[in-house]
Amino acid sequence: MVPSANDVGAQGPAEALLYAENVSKRFPGVQALLDIDLTLNRGEVHALVGQNGAGKSTLVKCISGVYPPDGGRITFDGREITTYSPKHAYDLGIAVVHQRPQLLPWLSVTENVMLGQLPARKGLVIDRRKANELTRDLLARLRLEIDPEVPVARLSAPERQQVAIAKALYRQAKLLILDEPTAALDAQRSARLFALIDDLAQQGVGVLYVSHHLEEVFRLADRVTVLRDGRLVATQPTAQLSQDEVVTLMAGHRIAESSLAGSATVAGEAAPALEFCQLETDVLHGVDFVVHQGEVVGVSGLIGAGGHDIARVLFGLDRPTAGRVALNGTTYQPHGPKQAIAQGVFLVPEDPAQDGLVPVLSVAQNVTLVSLKAITRRGVLSLRREREVADRYVGELSIATSSVHTAVRNLSGGNQQKVLLAKSLTSKAAVLVLEEPTQGVDVHAKAEIHRIVRDLASRGKAVMVVSTDIRDLLQFVDRIVALRAGRVVADLPARSTTYAQILDLTVGSVAVPGS
Amino acid sequence: MSTETGAGLAPGAARRPASGRSKNVDVYSLWPIAVMVLIIIATALSSPRFLSVFNFENILSQAAPLGIVTMGQCILLISGGLDLSVGYNIAFSSIITGLLLEHNVPLPVAVLAGIAAATAVGFVNGVLAAQGRAHPFIITLGMSIFLFGLDTQLTGGAPVNNMKGLYTAFGSYLPGGFPFFGLPSVTWPFLIVVLLTYGFLRWAPLGRRAYAIGGNEQAAYLSGIPVKRTKIYLYTLMGALVGITGMVLSGQINEASFNLAQNFELQSIACAVIGGTALFGGRGGAFRSLQGVALWGLVQNSILFIGFSSNYQQMALGVIIIIAVMVTRAQR
Ligand SMILES: Nc1ncnc2c1ncn2[C@@H]1O[C@H](COP(=O)(O)OP(=O)(O)OP(=O)(O)O)[C@@H](O)[C@H]1O
Ligand SMILES: [Mg+2]
Repeated sequence: MVPSANDVGAQGPAEALLYAENVSKRFPGVQALLDIDLTLNRGEVHALVGQNGAGKSTLVKCISGVYPPDGGRITFDGREITTYSPKHAYDLGIAVVHQRPQLLPWLSVTENVMLGQLPARKGLVIDRRKANELTRDLLARLRLEIDPEVPVARLSAPERQQVAIAKALYRQAKLLILDEPTAALDAQRSARLFALIDDLAQQGVGVLYVSHHLEEVFRLADRVTVLRDGRLVATQPTAQLSQDEVVTLMAGHRIAESSLAGSATVAGEAAPALEFCQLETDVLHGVDFVVHQGEVVGVSGLIGAGGHDIARVLFGLDRPTAGRVALNGTTYQPHGPKQAIAQGVFLVPEDPAQDGLVPVLSVAQNVTLVSLKAITRRGVLSLRREREVADRYVGELSIATSSVHTAVRNLSGGNQQKVLLAKSLTSKAAVLVLEEPTQGVDVHAKAEIHRIVRDLASRGKAVMVVSTDIRDLLQFVDRIVALRAGRVVADLPARSTTYAQILDLTVGSVAVPGS
Repeated sequence: MSTETGAGLAPGAARRPASGRSKNVDVYSLWPIAVMVLIIIATALSSPRFLSVFNFENILSQAAPLGIVTMGQCILLISGGLDLSVGYNIAFSSIITGLLLEHNVPLPVAVLAGIAAATAVGFVNGVLAAQGRAHPFIITLGMSIFLFGLDTQLTGGAPVNNMKGLYTAFGSYLPGGFPFFGLPSVTWPFLIVVLLTYGFLRWAPLGRRAYAIGGNEQAAYLSGIPVKRTKIYLYTLMGALVGITGMVLSGQINEASFNLAQNFELQSIACAVIGGTALFGGRGGAFRSLQGVALWGLVQNSILFIGFSSNYQQMALGVIIIIAVMVTRAQR
């Protein structure tokens, strides 16, 4: 398929930076890509969208040489790619930030960023000082406040994401591919990334941008390509489309906007499930708020503002230095996840790959991991029960997988997120703490997750959602607790609150009453 | 413009493969069997006596002790651990039993004491490994060196040469006598351990916990799995299997000494890895490791049959280990 004259600004394949033609890729049981065409020009920001499992990451991996396509041709910078290896792609000038990038945890930021090209004295001994200086420069140019000498394992999830971006930009690339780069970033950090992308495009770098956030797509991209079930649905200039139209293209049908905010009327009579009284840790300062039974409370703030730390305290991973948490009216002080779960509190961590899932185990084995007792009969695991439980949640959350026996690492990123949620649903906890539950999931699945969370609340569970995605929170929580620098700056009903209001409060561009 | 409306696909629904349930038959994982068939054919062609019942039983009884430890090693590798102290711990258990037998302690008591001693060592390994302060490689290496000293101290360097009842039970596999339903008696503890390991890894919650910890320890911890306690159990279990091996092996050759099971630690790891157990945890299984043991035993036997010196055994085994790891890697 040749791009037709309708494609405003599209150049013929010969001049295009990247020209993929009829690219196909099959995995056992799944046709991940079928006859995909994609043209990307120099200086163009091209968005790639589609539901979870649509094949976006697979296309990215084919272009960047992670695996060769089964069929089709990819031409880059006028030459057909014949050798498929990440190194070859990188040498050609294709830099990639994969979805949930893998870094080497015990190496320093510098070593990760410059891996394979560390400057060496006389070609033998690594020149550590020079390497650190180069990295420091690069990080400064990207306006990232990260110490190049610390091991990556000590960084937070968003910092790791930023290191991965820095790594991709270390050597001047002609094509930059970003696979859901903002999934782990807050508003402030995302804005910095967008400015950077604009700059790069100005300099003639082509950018392929994969995202579920359509605001980002319309903010950044010149054209957008929509995939559905491994097939190309459309490529169009963003100027000619509306967000709704893109959503419809992605789903193949119209999706009603979910707005469940405050739909459950939580009156003052509901008993408090969680109470924080003057909670103090290294990060938190005098945190005070309540989550009632049957209520969904969103906790939002910039990364580092304290949402993650509250979650850690609740799961017994950190001890408060002062103050107290009460669970159903009695003091709650778990020593670790096991005690927390035993007392009916469950945490869905923000980084599924690192903290949430066992990638080599199957979907079924991951889903039932917290509830092994429930599938054990007389000391023996019932594999039939296990399959039933897994089948139920795979159906309920529409997890796209060829079977419940598929290893979780073979699922698309968004579907991994859903497996994590399924796991929390089997825990039977009365208090659920969800960190970034809609990170990386598509519009459709987001609506489903909203519905599921509301449903849990209507069954009397207390749900606390820690998220940096304010827009998303506003759609389904009852109240929003805004955090800034470890302090609660506002506790507002979601129904009467706007995105801008919360953003201002959390970023700190407006004065906070009474602080 | 390339716009097509995907008709025929259930919109937004979870996608199932059209081909229905595709059973993931992993062709690669069967390679040890293929290699074994080739070896059997080649050796049988060059030496007709190779395909005798006697030789089969010979292979089986030689592979049995290593097979028992390999099952334990397989479980530990799956959990992301390993045990390098098994060689001298096997010796330790046999020495305890042997010395007690020398002092006319009744056989059952002596056997239980030997197995208990090895189990205790496993427990200590487990407690240390569970602290997470040092890699099990170092902990069990240290334990191995410690046991070497203890073993030689206990025996004064001279082996115990009479295992009494144990020899009666396991030693008479030599020509003329196969006391147990026509098979060498060592087959039975071996077979039972393999079946139990299979069941353990498949159906026991503890086995599942081992996979989870080996696959992603942090995720296992956050799922409420008692990581430390699980590790202690697994190393203790390994200790018990080591004790059983000590009884079988010392009974077979009627001797308890510090060098009873030299290199068993590396051989058992090699067998598990040949069978496709991942060195860094999360994957593997009893029958797969059994294939590794079988291949190992077969290579040792057939090379002698063809008439090569035992040096070639070592060379062949070395090559096989490397191929095994590369095949397992390629699968990932
Ligand atoms: N290595 C693999 N082995 C088997 N199947 C795979 C593998 N990688 C991806 N798949 C399957 O291919 C399909 C496309 O996956 P892909 O990761 O490209 O989706 P995606 O569009 O990036 O989704 P998401 O938005 O969730 O990240 C999915 O059904 C997935 O399960
Ligand atoms: Mg993806």
